[in-house]
Amino acid sequence: MSQAWLLGQRALREGARTPEALLPTLFIPLFFLAVNVGQAAEIFPSSSTDFLNGQGYGAFQLPSSLLLAASFGTAALFLVEEIEGGYFDKLRAAPVSRTAIVAGRLIAEAVKGVLIAVAIVVLGLIFGITIASGVAGFLLLVGLTALWAVVFTGFMQLIALKTRSAAATNSAGLVFFPLLFLTPNFVPRDLLTRPMEIAATLNPVTYVMEALRSLVLEDLDWGTILPGFAVVAVLGVIVIALNVRMINTYD
Amino acid sequence: MNEIAPAVEAAALVKHYPGSKNGDIEAVRGVDLRVESGEVFGFLGPNGAGKSTTVKMLTTLLTITSGSARVAGVDVADDPDEVRRRIGVALQEAGLDPRQTGRELLVLQARLFGLSAPDAATRTDELLQLVELEDAADRHIKGYSGGMKRRLDLASALVHEPDVLFLDEPTTGLDPVSRLTVWDEVRRINARGTTVFLTTQYLEEADQLCDRLAIIDDGRIVRQGPPAELKAGLRERLDLDHEPTLDDVFLDATGRSRSRVAGDVQEVAA
Repeated sequence: MSQAWLLGQRALREGARTPEALLPTLFIPLFFLAVNVGQAAEIFPSSSTDFLNGQGYGAFQLPSSLLLAASFGTAALFLVEEIEGGYFDKLRAAPVSRTAIVAGRLIAEAVKGVLIAVAIVVLGLIFGITIASGVAGFLLLVGLTALWAVVFTGFMQLIALKTRSAAATNSAGLVFFPLLFLTPNFVPRDLLTRPMEIAATLNPVTYVMEALRSLVLEDLDWGTILPGFAVVAVLGVIVIALNVRMINTYD
Repeated sequence: MNEIAPAVEAAALVKHYPGSKNGDIEAVRGVDLRVESGEVFGFLGPNGAGKSTTVKMLTTLLTITSGSARVAGVDVADDPDEVRRRIGVALQEAGLDPRQTGRELLVLQARLFGLSAPDAATRTDELLQLVELEDAADRHIKGYSGGMKRRLDLASALVHEPDVLFLDEPTTGLDPVSRLTVWDEVRRINARGTTVFLTTQYLEEADQLCDRLAIIDDGRIVRQGPPAELKAGLRERLDLDHEPTLDDVFLDATGRSRSRVAGDVQEVAA
């Protein structure tokens, strides 16, 4: 069994034994989903809002909640604890591939991302949201959310390795909020003001959100889905490469 | 007949950390060491003398600024992975994962060193017995006492039966009973043929355990030899009419006096 998977299993046990760290990743996105729908559903009734494709505003907001749930990066905070506690050095002093040390936590984050995405989507289904792209779309929705979790945790791990500080790592996680609000979060991109539209077009998170949204609201539209996967693939390669470089030069 | 390679050999080992505007910090300034295979070697020094930095270079955790080091016959800079396969490391802070059980931690460590699942389970049972933690094996580590954590850390450093075991202040913060238990473990491990490289601030510990020792101060080795020889040398040099202790050797080597040390302690306590 590969070292990365062994370390991934450990990280999963760690997550399961710290439910107090896991529960907010489910609760807070659902809270924002309820609040956003409560505030804007009256403005965008499904009967007269074309971009909802006949669904309620909750279906439009679901991707935001999925992205938020996948952007907690708790694993990076566990990594800081591990650095401070000395276990990280224990691993570095063993003949463990540096890539496996980085990848172990990211594998666990992907598994957690799948579980959280499934939970949120199932709750959405209970409250009347449908996944217009069917079972294949559901799987792509969950997969893309999990991959985004890997990318964002990879970014936070980078901060953890660089700063070795829980405070700095935690603060870095807040970068997600400006990124989220510079997306077509409340309305489609073509309804944004011109400056916001430009900002959203330059923001890579926009393409992930549009891919997720397309899977909820439309049949499989590869022209929108593929850019989302391309963004997580490119960002994923970059953050993993930077993580490996960082751990190789860690002193 | 082939000569047995020294367990640890360092030549002109230097470590600089990037510092502030005043320039680099010279933590280790040219350390020469030779530890023979099968020894318990003590590495002593005041706080900040360079003990932990030296150990971290020898265990591949820090890069070497200049000089060279070989551990178990392998060059640390050229083949760090091979060095890692041959050493066990228990650092100053017991490096454990508090959310795992003792058994899970040892099994994982064994698997990371390449043991199969059944072999890892068997080795874990042996080690739990060795460090007398069988009863606590399936409890989460965060509930362990300081002494139990040290013993588990020691066990985790032994999963692959290393040639050289590095122990960085293994008894700091332990109560006297736990300290004696760790001493017994060290003796047992050494009796099985493992070279032990031990850093400590406790001179009695060094006197009790070590075949030879080195004292480092301000990044340089200032004394090296068997404890008895170092004490005899001091007695002869100062023409003392009593047998000096290792404390006297340490104070003489580091240029400290008992009053200065006592004063430092008083100042910190206030």
